[in-house]
Amino acid sequence: MSFLNNAAAKQSVRLLRHELKRGELTIVFLALVLAVATVFSLTGFSNQIKSALIIQSSSFIAADRVLETSRKIDPLIIQKSTTLNLQHVQQIVMSSMVFAANDDQKADPSTMLLASLTATSDLYPLRGELLVSTTAEQLVNKQSQLVHAPNKNEVWVDKKVLTNLKVKLGEHLEIGIKKFVIAGVIQQLPDNSFSIFSAGPKIILNITDIYATDLIQPASRIGYKYLFAGDNKDIEQFSTWIKPQLNNTQRFYGIKSRQNALAKVLNRAEKYLSLASMLGIVLAAVAVAVGARRYSHRHQVNVAVFKAMGASRAYVSNLYLLHWSLLSIAGILVGLIAGYFIQFFGLLAMAEYLPNTVTNNLIEPLFIAIVTGLICAVAFAISPLIELFNTSPLAVVRSVKQTKPKLISWQQVPAFSALLGLLMMFSGDWKLSLILLASGLIIVVILLLFARLMMSLGRGVGSKAGQAWQLALANLKRNASENSVQLVSFTIAIQLLLLLLVVRNELLADWQAQLPETAANRFLINISKSQVDEVKKFTQQNNLVASAVYPVIPGRLTAVNNEKISNVNDPSVAQNSSQKSSLKESTLKENAIKENSAVDNNKANITRRGIGRELNLTWQDLLPEKNKLIAGKWWQASDSNAQVSIEEKLAQRLDIKLGDKLTFQLGSDIFDVEVTSIRTVNWQSMQPNFYMIFNQQVLQDFPATFIASLFVPELQQQKFSSFIAKYPTITVLDVDAMINQLRKVIKQVSIAIEFILILVVLAGSLVLVAQVQATMEERQRNLAILRTLGARGVLLRNSVLYEFIALGVMAGFLASCAMEVAVYFLQTKVFAMAASFHFKFWLLGMGSGGLFVGLIGLFSCWRLLTKTALHRHVV
Amino acid sequence: MNIKSETILKVNKLSKSVTLDDKQLTILHPLDLEVNSAETLAIVGSSGSGKTTLLSLLAGLDLPSSGEVYLKEQPLHQFNEEQRSQIRAKHVGFIFQQFLLINSLTALENVMLPAELANQKNAKTLALQLLSDVGLSERSDHFPNQLSGGEQQRVAIARAFITQPDVLFADEPTGNLDSQTGEHIADLLFNLNQQFGTTLVLVTHDHKLAHRCQRQIELAAGRLVTATVVEPQTNVVML
Repeated sequence: MSFLNNAAAKQSVRLLRHELKRGELTIVFLALVLAVATVFSLTGFSNQIKSALIIQSSSFIAADRVLETSRKIDPLIIQKSTTLNLQHVQQIVMSSMVFAANDDQKADPSTMLLASLTATSDLYPLRGELLVSTTAEQLVNKQSQLVHAPNKNEVWVDKKVLTNLKVKLGEHLEIGIKKFVIAGVIQQLPDNSFSIFSAGPKIILNITDIYATDLIQPASRIGYKYLFAGDNKDIEQFSTWIKPQLNNTQRFYGIKSRQNALAKVLNRAEKYLSLASMLGIVLAAVAVAVGARRYSHRHQVNVAVFKAMGASRAYVSNLYLLHWSLLSIAGILVGLIAGYFIQFFGLLAMAEYLPNTVTNNLIEPLFIAIVTGLICAVAFAISPLIELFNTSPLAVVRSVKQTKPKLISWQQVPAFSALLGLLMMFSGDWKLSLILLASGLIIVVILLLFARLMMSLGRGVGSKAGQAWQLALANLKRNASENSVQLVSFTIAIQLLLLLLVVRNELLADWQAQLPETAANRFLINISKSQVDEVKKFTQQNNLVASAVYPVIPGRLTAVNNEKISNVNDPSVAQNSSQKSSLKESTLKENAIKENSAVDNNKANITRRGIGRELNLTWQDLLPEKNKLIAGKWWQASDSNAQVSIEEKLAQRLDIKLGDKLTFQLGSDIFDVEVTSIRTVNWQSMQPNFYMIFNQQVLQDFPATFIASLFVPELQQQKFSSFIAKYPTITVLDVDAMINQLRKVIKQVSIAIEFILILVVLAGSLVLVAQVQATMEERQRNLAILRTLGARGVLLRNSVLYEFIALGVMAGFLASCAMEVAVYFLQTKVFAMAASFHFKFWLLGMGSGGLFVGLIGLFSCWRLLTKTALHRHVV
Repeated sequence: MNIKSETILKVNKLSKSVTLDDKQLTILHPLDLEVNSAETLAIVGSSGSGKTTLLSLLAGLDLPSSGEVYLKEQPLHQFNEEQRSQIRAKHVGFIFQQFLLINSLTALENVMLPAELANQKNAKTLALQLLSDVGLSERSDHFPNQLSGGEQQRVAIARAFITQPDVLFADEPTGNLDSQTGEHIADLLFNLNQQFGTTLVLVTHDHKLAHRCQRQIELAAGRLVTATVVEPQTNVVML
């Protein structure tokens, strides 16, 4: 017999056609459609969002990856980047004095300025926008145009250069021995360093000019930066290739490896998207599994009839294999189409937040979705289908013995392996997938036990309640085994939905808290002691939200408990053993300082060279906001003994404990101070942050400059500018652009998260519907019997409603418990957030569980509850 | 019409036991039985007397614990499920108390089913003819849930006769119908039975129905207690 016996094929197609038309396959069909559509749209969508976010946020470093080094790099690296089709930009950065210079006269030494020079090749910036005002008119109107590196003999300069050197646009500057025309004033620099102690205002020149300045001499302190950008996979390949070759003078980083607020947002968003997608897949897979089981049960009588009429097992297998395959193929196709449109409209809705540079790559999501569909269709159907094929023809005379569903049995091996496979395919992390699945199984076992327990407890309660409740709870108890499976599915669906909802809320709240409306957008640096009161007065008079004004005194830590610090943290020791990791750490730390507006300027050097460099020290009477003591006690303002509070990570790294004696050198003064507290610092907070804070007694007599951060609303910009113009020595750092960009990214991520949540809610609802449908036949029989026995319609309706409500509420309760555990682990282990308790979600879980499951149940049984329908079953 | 009286079903010391809670339970004690071609046999007895078990053994739906069953001289007791399927496809038809129509197939498609299983070319023509014989030609494209119980059983009867089986097994064919409809169905069944010369083995509670068979056997607690030959009523009623 050919694989597809003609008659079997004909009957198969006929059955499928009728069943689809009559809506008998709707649930399992929708489950397949949803599994595929969810995966397709989620993969496509989150890929798009991720790359959009990365591209957009990469503008913060003006590239996808940056290689920073103090020496020239091996030309092989550039060659490699070119072979990988990457774009690259070479930059030389250095500090130098620059002078105002008119055409007809020599440089005027009275108008000089220490500036931070960046000599760059033409393509800069590779990501983000460099905006420059090139005419006086533009400058006045704050207009600008998009540019790349300046032409030969020209420079782009910070506005401060004009004011400090008293020169105008179009006039000249002398850098080294070469004269340049000031061709533009920088309005927006994508990779503006937020380093508060960067050496003066920025000047950008073309790299071809740098040697003509004669500034590069042996032993000049210069840095090289190489920027790379390209397609994600090329960039990844390049990163993998270059990383093992890096030496300790080289730092290689992308936007995500930077420990700044944006990187944190991106990493969390990415994790959330992955998590949501994985849960979406689990839910869709559960819906398929439930649907397939019902499919099998519903067809068992038919198979028995076929077999009684003489159909062989092979015939029946062929018939139903074809039937299921056609159904699956149809489901997958419709799922792909639906998924494409969901993704399309999702992206359309977000178009204004997405950069145009994102290409719509459909191959990967298409592939993953098809594989998901096939895996779901095969693995989740194998066991129910085999059961179907094995139906005995004897079932025509004896009612079909329904095998009790077992969530944990060898029959589920293909399903669980498939789930593991799907999770692995999606997350690319077998450990995480295995942990997820294993913990899922443990949860299922615990839930099953709980479900049984609750149902038997419910019976006791029910006997004291009304008749309909009694009947409902008796029903639950009677079908305890079937119902506990149902309850577990409800629970899992509700739990996963609650989980996503809670984590989403936490993430959004966390982001919101990080960037409140009044997040500081200006940093004032180099405030002199005499200006402190003026600044305070100005902020008070104008009701500006401002941080405390912190004194800043450079100093160095020379010893811990009289042990010279360089010995404790000798780089030759540290780096020999783990050169890479220490390099990485220093990279992260350095970024933490720069990007988070921390005041300590050279943390990288702490690791690399021990504490050989200066730290920025401060003193305070009160513990600064967003700092939390984790050990020790904060001092009283009146304490006269010398005390210091140290940041937790630094304390860990230098192995400093409470009570240790630290020796500092400030200029020629050397003093000892006791560590009396250890703090955590929120580096993401827009305020000056410090590693070392002393009590007033220690530092008050040392000369200091002061620093503060404040929020200047749009309307008060003018006032602020005129105030600050009075104090040319105060440096203003404008971080508005960065904050706006961060807000934009957060908004994008929030929309993406909402969108994905909707998809997952759909998948979860389908599980609930599928599960209710799965027990319909059994209910039909029971209702018919009760009806025949004279039960009134209202009683039956209420008993059905109450039974489902009870199931829903129990599921909601169990789901809330499970959610709380899962959220705890996610918050603490995955998202690096503080754990919290979510009581209102318990109410939501139980309330919506009861309502939703009750309504679905009632709706599904409605037909059975009407008189005529019941009649037909008993006549 | 087959007039030659040959033994179509032969049963020797047939018994069936099952194990329930580690206890051996005999549902059917050894019995012997012969059914001739074109004969009508009623198996009667109270609930749990083993009627349905006997029917399922005779039809090859189940295997005996001991003893022999020959259908058309084929030793069903030695055959596996697949071989018994083939025998059923060739020689056996069924009518069930629950009708057991395929819900998602129309009346016509339900009737065609066995013919298609047997690879008969003219399944549709035959099915239409039989539907007309049972008075349902107007309802051929209706689905089972659009038909009354009596109509469903008529479709089931048409389905049972389409392959012109040698033996027709009917398990309480009127059990789910009111008495009037039941009588109509019985008339139809016996008419077609006569028309096709089919052997009819009928399991029923209904003594009236049983009396229409040429022979009755009664089971009690899994034992054959009486065997009666009755004068069959052969009143023909056209439906």
